[in-house]
Amino acid sequence: MRMLNFARRNFKELIRDPLSLIFEILLPIFLLFIFQQINIPGDTYKLESFTPGIIVFGFSFITLFTATLVSKDRSSSLLIRLGTSPMKSSDYILGYILSLIPIVLIQGVIFFTVAVILGLHFSLNIIYVLFISIIISILFIALGILLGSLVSEKATGGIGSIVVQLTSFTSGMFFSKDLVGNVFTKICEILPFESCLNIIKGILNNNLEIINIRNIIVVIVYTIGILILSIITFKKKMISDNK
Amino acid sequence: MYSIETKKLTKKFKDKTAVNGINLQINEGELFALLGTNGAGKTTTIKMLTGLIMPTSGEILINNMNIQKDTIKIKNILNISPQETAIAPNLSVKENLEFMAGVYQIKDKKNKISELVELFKLDEVLDKKAKTLSGGWQRKVSIAISLINDPKILFLDEPTLGLDVIARKELWNVINKLKGKITIILTTHYMEEAEQLSDRIGIMSNGNLVDIGTSNELIKKTNTKSIEDAFVKIVTGGNL
Repeated sequence: MRMLNFARRNFKELIRDPLSLIFEILLPIFLLFIFQQINIPGDTYKLESFTPGIIVFGFSFITLFTATLVSKDRSSSLLIRLGTSPMKSSDYILGYILSLIPIVLIQGVIFFTVAVILGLHFSLNIIYVLFISIIISILFIALGILLGSLVSEKATGGIGSIVVQLTSFTSGMFFSKDLVGNVFTKICEILPFESCLNIIKGILNNNLEIINIRNIIVVIVYTIGILILSIITFKKKMISDNK
Repeated sequence: MYSIETKKLTKKFKDKTAVNGINLQINEGELFALLGTNGAGKTTTIKMLTGLIMPTSGEILINNMNIQKDTIKIKNILNISPQETAIAPNLSVKENLEFMAGVYQIKDKKNKISELVELFKLDEVLDKKAKTLSGGWQRKVSIAISLINDPKILFLDEPTLGLDVIARKELWNVINKLKGKITIILTTHYMEEAEQLSDRIGIMSNGNLVDIGTSNELIKKTNTKSIEDAFVKIVTGGNL
C-alpha cells in the first residue's frame, strides 16, 4: 500500500523533529495547568470545559505541523521524484492524514492524563472523545495540507499561528462568544472551531444537548469542503511547482 | 522500437514557448546527453518526458506507449534523479531506500537494496540520516534511489552539479556501469561529462533542438577542436 508507506515516512519525519512536537504538547499542558491554579469564576475554566478547549487548541498545532511538512516536501525535490512515480493524489493526501492521526491520539492521551491528575473525573467518555478527535482532526489536517500547498515553508509559521489564534479566540475556550457582541458571535458560528469544541465538550460531559445540529453540519461541511479543496490545490500546486 | 520518441513536442507557458516542436528519437540502452544554456528548455523537456507536466501539443512515446494514455505503466518503468538532491532528510539512507522501494512496491526489496548498497558503496552511511551527509553522498544516495525500480529509462538531471572532482569521477564510474543496460538521458552543463559518458548529444537553444549527433560528429560538423567549441558555435551560430 503506497499510502501506508508514505504515511510511515511522514510519521518518521514528524517525530524526528521533536522540538516542535514537545512545544506543541507542552504549551497546551501549561495552559491547562496554569488556569487551574487561578480561581477564575464561571464555567469556562473548569476542567470539564477547559480540557475540550485544550484538545481543540492542540488540533490547531496539528494544522501547523501538517502545513510545515507539506510545504517542506514541496520545496525539496522529493515531490518531483514522487511525481514521476506511480503514486496517486489519494496516496499523498491519505498518507499525510494517516501519519498525523497517531500524533492526534498521543496528544489527546497526554492532555487527558494531565487533566485527570489535575482533578478531571475519569470516565468512558474520555475514550469516546479520543475516537471523535480522530474524525474532527481530519478537518485540521486537511486545513494544514491546504495551507502547506498554498504557502512557502517560511510562511507556514505565520499562517499556522493565525490558525492557532483564530482557534483559541473563536472556539470559546477562553471566553464565551456572547461576551463580545453580535458580529463576533456570527463569526464564531460560521467558523468551525466553536462547533468542534461544543461537540467534544458535549461528549466528554455526557451532555449531548449542548451539541446542536448547526455544530454537526458546520463540522461536516468544513471537513468535506476543505478536504476536497486540499486535494485539488495539492494536485494543482504539485504540477505548477514543477513548471 | 525507440525507448523515447517525441513528435513535435511543444510546451508553452502563457506567451513563452519553453519547448518548440521537438522531434527526438532515443534508442534502447543509449546514453543521450541533452545540452543547452540556462533556459534552453532541457528541464522542461525532461519534466514532460517523465510525466511531471503535460505537453501543450505534440506526442511522447515511451517504449511505444503514449505518456498521456499509459501514464501509470510508463511511470513504473522510468525514474529520475532530479537536479536538487531528492531524499527524505530525516530518514536514514536505508530508510530512504526502503521508502522508495515501497513507493514502487518492489517485491524483493531486501535484495534490491543490498544490490544498490554494493553498487554505490553505501555501507558506511547506511544508518546515517540523509540530512547529515555531504553533498556528494546525498547525490550518490539520490541516484541509488532512482535505480530502486530497475528502470528501463533513467533521467539524470545535472547529476554532478556542485560535486568535487573525486565525487564526480565516482559517479561517472557508476554511470558507466549502467551504460548499455538501461536508457539514460543526462542533462549537464559540463561538456567533458557529456563527451565522456554519452553515445549521442542533443543541443537545445531557446526551446529548439538545434543539433544532434555524437561528439565527434558535432566537432567535425562545426569544424572546431572540442565539444565545448562545437557547442558554443552551434548555440551562438558562430557569432562569438
